[in-house]
Amino acid sequence: MLEVIKPGLETTVQDWPGRIGHWEQGFPFSGPMDDWSFRLANLLVGNPPDAAGLECQFTGPTVRFGRDAVVAVTGADMQPALDNAPAPMWESFAVRAGQVLTLGFARLGARAYLAVAGGIDTTPVLGSRATFHQAGIGGLDGYALKAEQNLPLGDDNGTGTPGRRVRPECRPPLTAERVWRMEAVPGPNDDWIDEAGHRRFLESDWTVQTRSNRTGFRLDGPAWSFTERATDKRPEHGEDPSNILDHGYPVGAVNLCGQTPIILVNDGPSTGGFINPYTVPSAAFWKLAQSKPGDVYRFSAVSVDEAQDKRRAINRLIAEASIEAV
Amino acid sequence: MIFAEPVFRPGGDRFIEMELGDEMSFDLNFRVHSVSRLIRECGPAGIIEIVPELTSIMISYDFERISYADVVAEVTALFHAVGSLDGLELDSRIFYLPIRYFDPWTRECYDDYCAKIAPKERDPELVARLNGLADLAQLARVHSGTDYWVAALGFYPGLVSLMPLDPRCRLTAPKYDPPRTWTYKGTIGIGGALCSIYPDRTPGGYQMIARTPVPIWDPAQRLAAFAESLALFRPGDRVRFIPASAEEYDHVAAQVEAGTYLHNVAEYQRFSIGNYHRWLGTIDETVRF
Repeated sequence: MLEVIKPGLETTVQDWPGRIGHWEQGFPFSGPMDDWSFRLANLLVGNPPDAAGLECQFTGPTVRFGRDAVVAVTGADMQPALDNAPAPMWESFAVRAGQVLTLGFARLGARAYLAVAGGIDTTPVLGSRATFHQAGIGGLDGYALKAEQNLPLGDDNGTGTPGRRVRPECRPPLTAERVWRMEAVPGPNDDWIDEAGHRRFLESDWTVQTRSNRTGFRLDGPAWSFTERATDKRPEHGEDPSNILDHGYPVGAVNLCGQTPIILVNDGPSTGGFINPYTVPSAAFWKLAQSKPGDVYRFSAVSVDEAQDKRRAINRLIAEASIEAV
Repeated sequence: MIFAEPVFRPGGDRFIEMELGDEMSFDLNFRVHSVSRLIRECGPAGIIEIVPELTSIMISYDFERISYADVVAEVTALFHAVGSLDGLELDSRIFYLPIRYFDPWTRECYDDYCAKIAPKERDPELVARLNGLADLAQLARVHSGTDYWVAALGFYPGLVSLMPLDPRCRLTAPKYDPPRTWTYKGTIGIGGALCSIYPDRTPGGYQMIARTPVPIWDPAQRLAAFAESLALFRPGDRVRFIPASAEEYDHVAAQVEAGTYLHNVAEYQRFSIGNYHRWLGTIDETVRF
């Protein structure tokens, strides 16, 4: 059992790839936003890829362990401490029953991941333990952790090994730089934006607004301009140029709501009535996950093939070859 | 316009949007669901999920198992395999939902909006006026005079987009601008040419004309209808609204509260689009109820 002493800003139980198979009824996938870091954390402690762990946003939780455990913290540098002594990032280590693990403020990046050998053993909802707190499902009682809650842990059968570390070159390359190069694949609705609009999207700085969360990242930037498809359309599409007959939203969609682009992420809506001129591919999600309000995105257009190659390159790193002994 | 050939567009590395047309049309939506059924039943391995919508299908796929080009080729073949609609039938359950028109809760929500955000014409009066109806009694008669088709689900778990199947019962309404910050769970609203039921207390924009005590979404899965899923409807279901008195509404609400309510659903129904087209030919679409 894991006792929550301080919950952190927004700490949720997540698993990967999340809640699959119910998208058609409106359930998003949820799951960890930076699945690169999340999967490496599970690998470090010897868990299967679908074991549940914690996603910690901006400021992490303080938890007391009810049993001995092997754990790993990856992703944002939240300066982990075990009984007030510094504990490593990107490395599995042993925790004794009764010890307290503290994750602090994210010094670098925005989201850290805590994996415990044996996994977090909350009750799956529709096949997944991932928390979708907008609708109150998954995780522990459907929401982010609260103080004094107890998280059940799965049996680790002695599988966890301390002293395993992710090689630095196999981790997401976090830096103090607050400008991110963000890949975006044109489409599905790129034909609704005119040439000047595409140029402005690809050549401008886009600032992440404070109102950004696991549903979507709102961006400030220049105005959009449209083709005839957006301005000369049947009335049922709606009045605004960015309106379209309700359609499905890809995860990662750069969803244009009036003039405000919102990048829809893991807990985003499955459908709606706005266009999606670009889609951020899965290989760039770790950057979304690790960016903070006020950070700047500079987009570059990539093809479907290029986006898939980048994802393959990340997937290859979620492997035993990326682990070294301390 | 209904496209002769579907149009495919990428949504990043994991998604493909398939457009079958660009107009609000029951026939087009029926084709969407017919193609979706074939994709589910005999689509290629590597397609993970599909979201059928009004005129399009969003497809998620695992590119390690199937390429973009192969998804397009195989789904195009399934699109052509559907062929003419007139011989098609789909399983289509009918749900009967008691609803109380012009109820005090949606009125309270409207009053709150007027006080805190912007004054506007009352929702039922606005819908009646814009659709040329004599009074609110006719609005309730027209709105409850048809089966509704679950054309799509999404945005929020269980949220439905309902199309009236009887053209004499079509209603249209603009959406709230700016939208509401909250809406009562179970509110029945009209926006554009669609009707919807709010599964939970959420923001919203549809004009509110009624409320149902029957849950269509239940994360705790308390009621029997939610044994298999947290959301009540599947695409291609139908809904019939039954006007309820205040007493009837309270009676059902008490059963829901006690956890004993049984959803009223006809599971044996199928929908034949050929029969539907023949029936459309026999009615005068311009005469309201």
